[in-house]
Amino acid sequence: MIDLLVLGAGLSGLVAALRAAEEGRRVKVIAKGMGAHHWNAGTIDVLGYLAGDEQPVEAPWTAMARLEDDHPYQLIERDAARAALTWFQTLTARCGLGYAGADGERNMLLPSPAGAWRPVFLAPAAQAGGEADAGRPMLIVGLEGMRDFYPHFIVRNLTAAGQPARAATLPWSVVSAARDRNSVQLAALLDEPAAQQRLVSALKLVAQPGERIGLPAILGLHRHTEVMAALQRELKCPVFEIPTLPPSVPGIRLTTALRHELERRGVRVEVGMEVIGFHAEGDAIQWVETATSARPLRHRAAAYLLATGGVLGGGFSSDPGGRFWETIFDLPLTVPQDRTQWFRPLFLDPQGQPAFRGGVSVDSSFQPVDADGRPVYANLWAAGGALAHADPILERSLEGIAIVTGVAAADAIVRERDFEGVRG
Amino acid sequence: MNKISTDILVIGGGSTGTGVAWDAALRGFRVVLVEKRDLTHGTTGRYHGLLHSGGRYVVKDPQSAIECIEENRILRRTHTHCIEDTSGFFVVTPEDEGDYPDRFRAACAKTGIPCEEIPLKEAFRREPLLNPRINRVFEVPDGSADSFLATHATVQAARQAGAQILIYHEVVGLLTEGGEGDRRVTGARVRDAVSGEETVIEAAMTINASGAWAGQIAATAGIPVRVIPGKGVMVAVNHRLVNTVINRCKMPADGDILVPVHTVAIIGTTDERVTDPELLPIEPWEVQLMLDEGDKLVPGMSKARILRAWAGVRPLYQEGYAGDSRDATRALALLDHQQRDGVSGFLTITGGKWTTFRLMAQTTMDKACAQLGVERACRTADTPVPGTEQGYYWLGHRLHEVEEHHLQGDLVCECELVTRAMIEQAAQNNPTVTLDDLRRDVRLGMGPCQGGFCTFRAAGILAEGGEGRGARDEEEAAVPSATSEWEVAYMQSPKHNIGANGARRSNRRFDNPNLLLRDFLQERWRGLTPVLWGRQLKQERLDELIYLSVMNVDHLPPDDDTSPLTEFWQFDTTPGATAHKEGDEL
Repeated sequence: MIDLLVLGAGLSGLVAALRAAEEGRRVKVIAKGMGAHHWNAGTIDVLGYLAGDEQPVEAPWTAMARLEDDHPYQLIERDAARAALTWFQTLTARCGLGYAGADGERNMLLPSPAGAWRPVFLAPAAQAGGEADAGRPMLIVGLEGMRDFYPHFIVRNLTAAGQPARAATLPWSVVSAARDRNSVQLAALLDEPAAQQRLVSALKLVAQPGERIGLPAILGLHRHTEVMAALQRELKCPVFEIPTLPPSVPGIRLTTALRHELERRGVRVEVGMEVIGFHAEGDAIQWVETATSARPLRHRAAAYLLATGGVLGGGFSSDPGGRFWETIFDLPLTVPQDRTQWFRPLFLDPQGQPAFRGGVSVDSSFQPVDADGRPVYANLWAAGGALAHADPILERSLEGIAIVTGVAAADAIVRERDFEGVRG
Repeated sequence: MNKISTDILVIGGGSTGTGVAWDAALRGFRVVLVEKRDLTHGTTGRYHGLLHSGGRYVVKDPQSAIECIEENRILRRTHTHCIEDTSGFFVVTPEDEGDYPDRFRAACAKTGIPCEEIPLKEAFRREPLLNPRINRVFEVPDGSADSFLATHATVQAARQAGAQILIYHEVVGLLTEGGEGDRRVTGARVRDAVSGEETVIEAAMTINASGAWAGQIAATAGIPVRVIPGKGVMVAVNHRLVNTVINRCKMPADGDILVPVHTVAIIGTTDERVTDPELLPIEPWEVQLMLDEGDKLVPGMSKARILRAWAGVRPLYQEGYAGDSRDATRALALLDHQQRDGVSGFLTITGGKWTTFRLMAQTTMDKACAQLGVERACRTADTPVPGTEQGYYWLGHRLHEVEEHHLQGDLVCECELVTRAMIEQAAQNNPTVTLDDLRRDVRLGMGPCQGGFCTFRAAGILAEGGEGRGARDEEEAAVPSATSEWEVAYMQSPKHNIGANGARRSNRRFDNPNLLLRDFLQERWRGLTPVLWGRQLKQERLDELIYLSVMNVDHLPPDDDTSPLTEFWQFDTTPGATAHKEGDEL
């Protein structure tokens, strides 16, 4: 029997699995799908906005004090949370995918694909080069006909926000001969030196001295670091990436790096495994069952970590009758069980939508608890998007919560579980 | 102030108003049509898409049924490409007891509606998802209609005959002259909703075709018109569950028609009398009722993914009527204000249904001619609108064209197969103020993701102002395209929108991409919230990830711009509150 079975291959699940594996535990990850980081910007947003506040958060660690008492960040000592981010930075650097921040205290402001400033705590080195700085003008370059990146749109809004910037468009054929290519396919094409060379030649025609060049986040899929180095060397100017509409190349690079690291440590990540049942005796989960093509498969472990995410990750489902439920263990959720209370009339309401604030309540050890605050199962923990009392997309805390709570839950499991005793 | 002089002023850019403009222009009148928002923005753009055979009304209202079958035959000739020849079933479920089916068949025979009872085996072969407990099936010539395309095609026909169409022009008030007993309407003062500029339009005859808003228009001249606004809720399912229009064979009631329209199926409707045509909240019970009733036609429909819910408001009219809107007549109502109120130069046309819009226009213009003392015959029944040569609409036409011309790389909306060039052409050639206008033009954002991907792309394309056109190879560029005038009738056709238009006249009246984007997201949200659960809720959360997390569109640089839609988004923000305009009395 393994020590820890992680349910979910999103950021929180992968991070927790790595953390527990580093502590010598035997870990396996099973997941239905690939996790939301194939969709996000690939940055680590720790806390970008406080609900109802128009201005972005400058210093996330300080601003956390203003979050509700039961927010996931309030369950963790601030130093432990900082340490988790530092650990993540070290880890990704070791994987060859460096993440950079401002100074460990403040958020950076990086351009979004709509040209709005995104408050980001850590970003892939390639994106960090796009930090707001009126003294360093930008040239935003797109490809003609690329449907997921619009340099004129970005420049319009950057300029309105005081960032000197201009737009340019290169022929599509610089990167690809065929028309029907998404950003992931374009990134793969740019892994090839010949394509990089064509891009460099075209950029030399449009770039002016003193500019830094912002490109869609397609600068290499598997050889990103080399591609970035080659472009900056040849162009003799800073080059940075701006995220595109999904699928997200930076998110896929991160997933790939984390999964390589897990493989290196002998942790299997099995995707395509939907949990269809579980069995508990007393307050202990005995096994979970997944659907496979041949027959249902039972997975036994001493400890289980629920990292299936919220509505987006598939951790929760809902029906027209107003029921909202956690899809594996049917854990109690804090979402109002009344559909008329789920949404506000405005899509971009600064207070967010109530349906997305609810989730699984946990104690300070990240064990899901019932209405009386008692753990539902003695060997179950939860982390990431499934946690209650936060709307990670509204707060821009999705990746921060995933990493900090993933690490904290893994540490709690390692600390509090006497695995040998359970096995005996 | 600008001044325009014309013979006929038409108020309202729905099917009826555009039909009147078309009819009047073909009769040789000078015509101006004003619409306060986009064409089809009112009831026409919010209906279920059923081209009636008349079967639905044949027992209850035979006169309406006769009008339907006659118009059904005419529209198949004049608006062929806007119609899918789906045919229609009237099905008897175990719940539909009594002698209604036999009365139905007899009434069809009497009114001349072709109706054939078909073997159950054949019915289930053609529609395998139908409730297996259905015990009788009658086939009638129902169809499925695209009211957006049909209205645009009617407008193009009207323009070609000389009509002038002014959208985003709101009537401030009717102009009147004369005193008690000898009053006449001489036109209207209108305001451009984008520029705020006002224009006086003088007309020999003013025709109020503003549907549910007809009372408000007439009131500006002190004429009382009490329209019975009957709200109808419709729900779109993400699959085409049936390929035939399915009607319950019983007295018309709630949720008893299922219409295949393009790639989806629409179940409708309810009928609730409301007070304000701008205020159409969709209650959970109304959606639930549609799903429950839908299950009786196609079991399991309620478990399908629901894309969107919306409400339209029927402009029913019955002089002196005070009952439920469900029982109010569907017949057309032409109000002769000369006879009724002693006010000349003014007619109100309301009631009716989409299927009879041409007849409504004809009736109206016959009366107008009589009052103007001229004899000019109606020509609409024998004059096909542009695009009819394409033949009936068929489901695969866009996919076929995209594949034939290798346009996969240019798709901006993968759900509805909308290419970049279709958006650029529509934005250049149709007066475009919001992305929702483009939705009505080319079906942008109407599919399962409800604008999740294409909203950003369309805003980005419009921000480029046509500069970022995709590279296309020689072969593609050589495909014949509409070179001279942009053919509205082909606006939904990928292959007719390849390459740049020779005339680069821009019709975009509003080009702040931030507002375009936010308005469209809000518009989509309005139709989503009544049906957000399960997989559609998951999709919605993905849209939040994209627009909040990745794009940060709730924190774009501040600007003072407002769009004509901005005032519609002033809300009470408590959960479950109803969207309403500021200052409205609830």
